[in-house]
Amino acid sequence: MTASLPVLVRGSDSDVSNKMAAPIALHLEFGGGAELLFDGVKEHHVILPDQSEPWDMKQLLVWIRANLLKERPELFVQGDTVRPGILVLINDADWELMGELRYELQDQDNVVFISTLHGG
Amino acid sequence: MLLAIFQAGHQITMPVLCSSCAEKRAVLKRPKTAHSLCKDCFFWAFEEEVHQTIVSAQLFKHGETVGIGASGGKDSTVLAHIMKVLNERYNYGLKLLLLSVDEGITGYRDDSLETVKRNQQQYELPLKIVSYEELYGWTMDAIVKQVGLKNNCTFCGVFRRQALDRGAMMLKVDKICTGHNADDVAETVLMNVLRGDIARLRRCTAISTASEGEGVVPRCKPLKYAYEKEIVLYAYFKKLDYFSTECIYSPNAYRGHARTFLKDLEAVRPSAIMDVIHSGENLSVREGVKMPVQGTCGRCGYISSQTLCKSCVLLEGLNRGLPRLGIGKHHRLHGKILSQQPLTQAEERKLKTLEL
Amino acid sequence: MVGWQAGKDSFYVDEEYNGQLEHVATPSVSKKCVKCKESTAVLIIRAVDAFCRCCFKEYFIHKFRAMLGKNRIIFPGEKVLLAVSGGPASSSMLSQVKEGLSRDAPKKLRFVPGIIHIDEGGASGQSMEDRRRAVAQVESVLRSSNYPYHIVYLEQALNLPSSVLEVGSSATEKLQTGPSYKAAVDQFIQTNQNLHPDLFLENAWSHLSSLSMQEVQNGLSNPITPENTQALQRLFASVRTLTAKEDLLQTLRQHLILHTARTEGYTKVMMGDSCSRLAIKLLSNISLGRGASLAMDTGFSDSRYGDVVIVRPMRDYSSKEIAYYNRMFDVPSVFIPGLDTKAQDKASIQRLTESFVNKLQTDFPATVSTIYRTSEKLHTACPPQNTNSPTFDKCLMCACSLDTNAEEFSAFKATLISEQLSQRRGPGPGLSLGTAGAPGPPPASFTGQGQCRSSDEGQRQGCGSREPGCCLSAEMPATLDLKSLLCYSCRLTIKDMTAVDILPQYILAEAERKKRRSHMRKEISEFLLEEEDEAKTS
Repeated sequence: MTASLPVLVRGSDSDVSNKMAAPIALHLEFGGGAELLFDGVKEHHVILPDQSEPWDMKQLLVWIRANLLKERPELFVQGDTVRPGILVLINDADWELMGELRYELQDQDNVVFISTLHGG
Repeated sequence: MLLAIFQAGHQITMPVLCSSCAEKRAVLKRPKTAHSLCKDCFFWAFEEEVHQTIVSAQLFKHGETVGIGASGGKDSTVLAHIMKVLNERYNYGLKLLLLSVDEGITGYRDDSLETVKRNQQQYELPLKIVSYEELYGWTMDAIVKQVGLKNNCTFCGVFRRQALDRGAMMLKVDKICTGHNADDVAETVLMNVLRGDIARLRRCTAISTASEGEGVVPRCKPLKYAYEKEIVLYAYFKKLDYFSTECIYSPNAYRGHARTFLKDLEAVRPSAIMDVIHSGENLSVREGVKMPVQGTCGRCGYISSQTLCKSCVLLEGLNRGLPRLGIGKHHRLHGKILSQQPLTQAEERKLKTLEL
Repeated sequence: MVGWQAGKDSFYVDEEYNGQLEHVATPSVSKKCVKCKESTAVLIIRAVDAFCRCCFKEYFIHKFRAMLGKNRIIFPGEKVLLAVSGGPASSSMLSQVKEGLSRDAPKKLRFVPGIIHIDEGGASGQSMEDRRRAVAQVESVLRSSNYPYHIVYLEQALNLPSSVLEVGSSATEKLQTGPSYKAAVDQFIQTNQNLHPDLFLENAWSHLSSLSMQEVQNGLSNPITPENTQALQRLFASVRTLTAKEDLLQTLRQHLILHTARTEGYTKVMMGDSCSRLAIKLLSNISLGRGASLAMDTGFSDSRYGDVVIVRPMRDYSSKEIAYYNRMFDVPSVFIPGLDTKAQDKASIQRLTESFVNKLQTDFPATVSTIYRTSEKLHTACPPQNTNSPTFDKCLMCACSLDTNAEEFSAFKATLISEQLSQRRGPGPGLSLGTAGAPGPPPASFTGQGQCRSSDEGQRQGCGSREPGCCLSAEMPATLDLKSLLCYSCRLTIKDMTAVDILPQYILAEAERKKRRSHMRKEISEFLLEEEDEAKTS
């Protein structure tokens, strides 16, 4: 899947824009029912291409929406963040401890999305 | 040491330390209190809180047989796990068993029951499955064929309520505990406000039901003060086996609105779920507001505020091919049904239509 | 889509959730008025009732009178303070009061009105120039009413006396000893029988008008100093979340209104909350943990302050009816930006609730009226007041009855336990709580523990200081001291502040006084107990 990537330009990024960030490999996992929006596939090994600035969670969500989501994107992302009720774990820790959308992704990071909105 | 280094709007985060042991890396931020806990301290705090709930609210007595309403979903899976853990750790002296209902929904309940069966093995607890088909002669698949997708949840909810009781009676269970969590309770408070249902608003925050009468087993919610977020993370970190697919016949739009609102509230102020419950616990209802009087069903003896219990009315409707009978208010027909008098043509016509 | 959670059977017998509200029924075009059945309808209220202009006016006016008549708590000749923000609902209320007072004998309203407008621009950081312009606009509306009016600035709240926090002697007591409502009306009619109605009003207002002119002049000449405004802005900047800012603003506003009413001799305050506004308030107050005072907060009358009673005569009108009425009958109103103007839906609990109710109302037109009906079935759980300490069990800030009694197991207590269990403790799990169900109060340091809480809210503003780790040190030890005097919800508000010692002096001073009193009471009771013991042993 090589859909065109959104290029996010930020005014304040001039100090890092001259160095290119290398492609990074991520392990993405969807659970708790969130996988239903991804053709029922729970685990995805993805490679984010190189771009002029480091990848953060905010851009990852944009990328997921453009490249992985199969249906009903509003059930996964709302505004620029995940839909309330979907938990996010970065390397097995609550993303609320990691800066949430501002977390800068590292090569080989493990990102888990778990829906709490299904079943009881 | 700086906890975070800001760089061009990005954040490279050093691990946040556990606020309890101050040694290990925190794995979650608790919505209720905004503390950060490591895995072990989280397990301990979560279990201890449920224990405190059980002890303070005196949910069980030593020697009781307790049926755990098990659906295979996250809440009941965590409930079964934690009841087993606490029963052993604190010597509650309870005889625990799993109680499941098979609604007869192909592709949904049959799969989730497989999860329950695995839980039975994992937790070494006896399992009893009662099915709609054996109790009522109807599966949900068959009911949906007759009534369509608009009011099927009414049938399912009413039947399940009674099915659990019947299963509990068969096994001589003293109490049933269900996996209702803090989010569920808060959502129900909001729902009842949105529907103006004052009778339910008043009782929906109760942690347990008093014995409602013959044939009704007392129920309680040990996870009443546990956040859904923590339940899911507890299951995730403990690698508990649960089933998370949506019921294929479901979505109740109005409840969905309340849930979405609650999740948004939680995003704005994480304590909001507890705050809603606190509100619900402290509401008081004006005197003179009519509250339903509970009696028993004239046909099956189950508790009911009408001549016939909801379950019998719905069943009668299904069996006579008059699905509307149980939807909306047709109390004046109860006497006729009970004495098996025929309905008039006009009455039949009215109850037959599926455009509800 | 969130579905019905099939895993959870309904907890209670007879529980069913098929209660869908009716969707919008679109009425046919060019319908006739439901009332006169003659004229062409011009608007639709209550989902399907179409009214013509004339019947709508009559219906609107009748509803105001009926609301006051039904509740019978405003006595003839009583001084009533109308709180007018300049918005559509309170402006409409003002027009209804004018209408009611100008009517002929049997349908006439018989109280003596005055108006208060509070300029809150200082809290939302508006320029002095914008504020002056807005006040001037409101003032022109108020002036045209010919009632005495008071323009008050939010900054003035900082200099309120502590006495504003005391609960006055209850009006209900007076009611019990005084004449009944009917007797009061009869007496009033008798004494004023010979007076021409206009003459009577002139009498009643003659002393007021002079007073009001003085107020107005004060307002114009030297309302507030730049220092006042800066102090107010510092106070609001110390609150991390918009949710708590709005709550604090509400508290300060109430105190200002109450103080003005007391000093100017008003015994009733009329608020312009519409049915739509109250439905939103009800739901957001539930979300803020204000369930215990819900009936007071949203009902027709609120007697928590004792001597001054808040009434809400607009509570039967939807915001739609009000908007139409104002437009059709030229009721002027003024748009004044507030704290949450232009804020995102998820900026605060209050804002979120507003957008939720409005959206739901679009799909389910009975939403507002159903929520509103819920409020009518509630009443405040007012525990019998201890006559020795009438103010002791009331919240220092919002004056509701304290709802923080942790005797029974509750959400409040469960949170205390969670706090205790999440804090620094001895190594290793297995450390058990002392006695089950009796945890002590959490240590003072828990609120900001180890991390900045500012990211908790959608608003994501800074935590009040630019220094790294600011939140670690920002918690004042005073937080805990103040907390014991506050209700559940006001505690949440305080928790969102970087420091509590920045609260207005009148609140801090009253807190000190209350604490001293309770300390003294404790000492006295201990002393008495000792004496008793001695008496027994000897």
